[in-house]
Amino acid sequence: MNSIIKGISLAIAITGLFCGIATAQDQSQAPGKSEAAIELSYYKKADMSKTAVAVIKAKNNDGKFVPAKNALVNFYVIHDSEQQLLKSANTDNKGQAVIVLQKDLPLDEGLSFTIVAKIENDNLYEDVEEQMHYKDANLILNLNPHDTARLVTAQVTKIGKDGKEIPVEGAEVKFYVQRLFGIMPAVEDNTISTDEKGEASFAFPKNIPGDTTGVITVVARMEDNEQFGNVENKATESWGTALAVDKDPFPRALWEPNAPLPLIITISTLFGGVWFIYFFIFYQLRKISKEKQLSTVKERNHQ
Amino acid sequence: MANEKYNLKQEIETLREDCLRPTQKWGRSAQIWIGCLLIVMGWGLYCYIHQLRHGLGVTAMRDYVSWGLYISTFVFFIGISHSGTLVSAILRITKQEWRRPITRSAELLTFVSLLFGGIMPIIDMGRPDRLANVVIFGRLQSPLMWDVIAICTYFAGSSLFLFLPMIPDMALCRDRLTVCDSPFKKFKKWLYTKMSLGWKGTKSQWHRLEKSMTIMTIVIIPVAVSVHTVVSYIFAMTLRPGWNSTVFGPYFVAGALYSGSAGVILGMAVFRKLYHLEKYITPRHFDLIGRIALALTLIYAYLNLNEYWIPAYKMATAEGHLLSDLFYGSYSKAFWICQFGTVLLPIIIMSFPKGRSVTMLPITCIIIVAGAWVKRYLIVVPTLLHPFMPIQEVPGKWSSYFPNYVEFSVTAACLAGIFFVITLFSKLFPMMAVWEVEEGIQIEHDKQTAIELRTKREAVEVKIIGEQVKTDIEPIKQPTY
Repeated sequence: MNSIIKGISLAIAITGLFCGIATAQDQSQAPGKSEAAIELSYYKKADMSKTAVAVIKAKNNDGKFVPAKNALVNFYVIHDSEQQLLKSANTDNKGQAVIVLQKDLPLDEGLSFTIVAKIENDNLYEDVEEQMHYKDANLILNLNPHDTARLVTAQVTKIGKDGKEIPVEGAEVKFYVQRLFGIMPAVEDNTISTDEKGEASFAFPKNIPGDTTGVITVVARMEDNEQFGNVENKATESWGTALAVDKDPFPRALWEPNAPLPLIITISTLFGGVWFIYFFIFYQLRKISKEKQLSTVKERNHQ
Repeated sequence: MANEKYNLKQEIETLREDCLRPTQKWGRSAQIWIGCLLIVMGWGLYCYIHQLRHGLGVTAMRDYVSWGLYISTFVFFIGISHSGTLVSAILRITKQEWRRPITRSAELLTFVSLLFGGIMPIIDMGRPDRLANVVIFGRLQSPLMWDVIAICTYFAGSSLFLFLPMIPDMALCRDRLTVCDSPFKKFKKWLYTKMSLGWKGTKSQWHRLEKSMTIMTIVIIPVAVSVHTVVSYIFAMTLRPGWNSTVFGPYFVAGALYSGSAGVILGMAVFRKLYHLEKYITPRHFDLIGRIALALTLIYAYLNLNEYWIPAYKMATAEGHLLSDLFYGSYSKAFWICQFGTVLLPIIIMSFPKGRSVTMLPITCIIIVAGAWVKRYLIVVPTLLHPFMPIQEVPGKWSSYFPNYVEFSVTAACLAGIFFVITLFSKLFPMMAVWEVEEGIQIEHDKQTAIELRTKREAVEVKIIGEQVKTDIEPIKQPTY
């Protein structure tokens, strides 16, 4: 019996010890710091600029990950197995920290570059890091103005060891048309894989509205490609239908911002007339008031 | 004749004394009354600040009923404001001599009810700081914009219409206030001097004043009619069952005149009793204005019949649901009490001379005013609770509405504000247009004198003719045979 009691006591003591250690470990972390996570992306745009975007999310009191504002993110590039600090940036309200990368990033043997994003010694967020490896790729977009078939061709190439461009086969390219507030898929199935020449092509539809002269901007993108990240290019051509702009976009009508003239004239005449009479009454009151001064002057003269 | 002149002078002097007496002393009861009003207004202000801080969610209004007690009260106050136009302008233009003692109180009621009526839509706004946007981004096509323009125009006109006949009275107050032994009296002297515009009563000043008053009398009537017509457009120009009516303009104007006339009668009765004006506001005045109120109630009843009978005959889907609710649903008690108790019953009462007596008429008018207020509520709220699209996927509470303490408190504060301004006015200025009543007495006196002179002249003429007849008669000659 005694041995059982001793065993239970020992078990409780060990459990208590572990709980104590666990609590102590929890307390050893800096109080008030939130657990954070980084999503790192790479973008190469049509103007050949390269950017790294780190989206930071941190756990709130409800245990949900929400965008972390104003977190300092350090961006490193790995060069000869060592991390070199590129830039630092603070996250905005959406939790995004963006830096523009240099054009000649140091490459490893596999011709890839490695970018590391870190939160280090931040007052609000726990330390965390994320890295990405991508190869540099070019996306060339060709629109031939003389092509009656209106063939849009995008060619994906990567840089070989000798510096030559090598076509990339099997890369998925998505085609869009630029609109005022965003992009629209150029065709229903707008994802096309490149062939052995690294080319993906499709016939541009004839019924897409362009600007007033029919000019449209075609956008080709590789999105979240495992090897190359996000690469984009744009080209313009007069392949759209000319947009007929309404010469009078805001006609005078009850349901438009501009009121119809008869309504303006009627209301102005009616109420303007009434206010004119009011001002006439004010004028009469002023005359009544002025008479006081006149009579005072007369009275003085009389005296 | 010298004695008669003396009597006229004495009568006018008594009138002046009677009219100016209330402005010279603040009795205990007046102080208690003002204290009570200030308490109600203070509590209402506190509730309004609470509403401003926490939003309209503290009221009972929700998505569907966004125009509750506040907008109903707005329509009611604008209706009451027609009193000044009715009594003062219409009776002035038709040269009704008996109007003289009651025009001031009617014009004042117009001014004050418009002042507080205009505030009600601002109170109903969740963000009153955006009020300037109505002017900055206002669209002239919107009935709301017309309403703002019409109410501002009517308010300016009513202020002028109230002020113009006050000028000679202000000069009287100024001249009578000779001893300024306290800061308040000094303030009053200053106020009277400023407001009298240096009135000396010269021929030219009288000419200008009378010309201005004639013009304003003519102008204020269409402006007043336009205001309530435009208020009705706010409702009638939206696609909602119960509001989609072509008769809404005249219906609102008639309703306004009906409640406005009752408001004037109540004001008359109160000031007559409080300020001992029985000599000037006589049972004849009650009888005559009672007849007008009766005529207006009949017109209102006729338009009421049209407003409900025609859609009730058709019972079209959405209108049918609304009318069912009004006729035998959740609002039926209030609806039928309004129709029978506050329209038909007053018609019956006022049809009899005893119903237009000094005692009975004000009681009837209390019923009319209360009924008019409830009627405005019945125009606004049930329609909002019967939209064309069914109320769904919202909390159950949103499908019904009854004002809560915040709305009642703020509305009560506005009503108290009306009483407060009227009380202050009556303690500063005469509640009867002294010079107008004097003019009436003078006209009456002249008439009497003319009648007496004519009677005397006729008597003399009869005497002379009688004597002439006597001398002209030739003796009858005896026939000769």
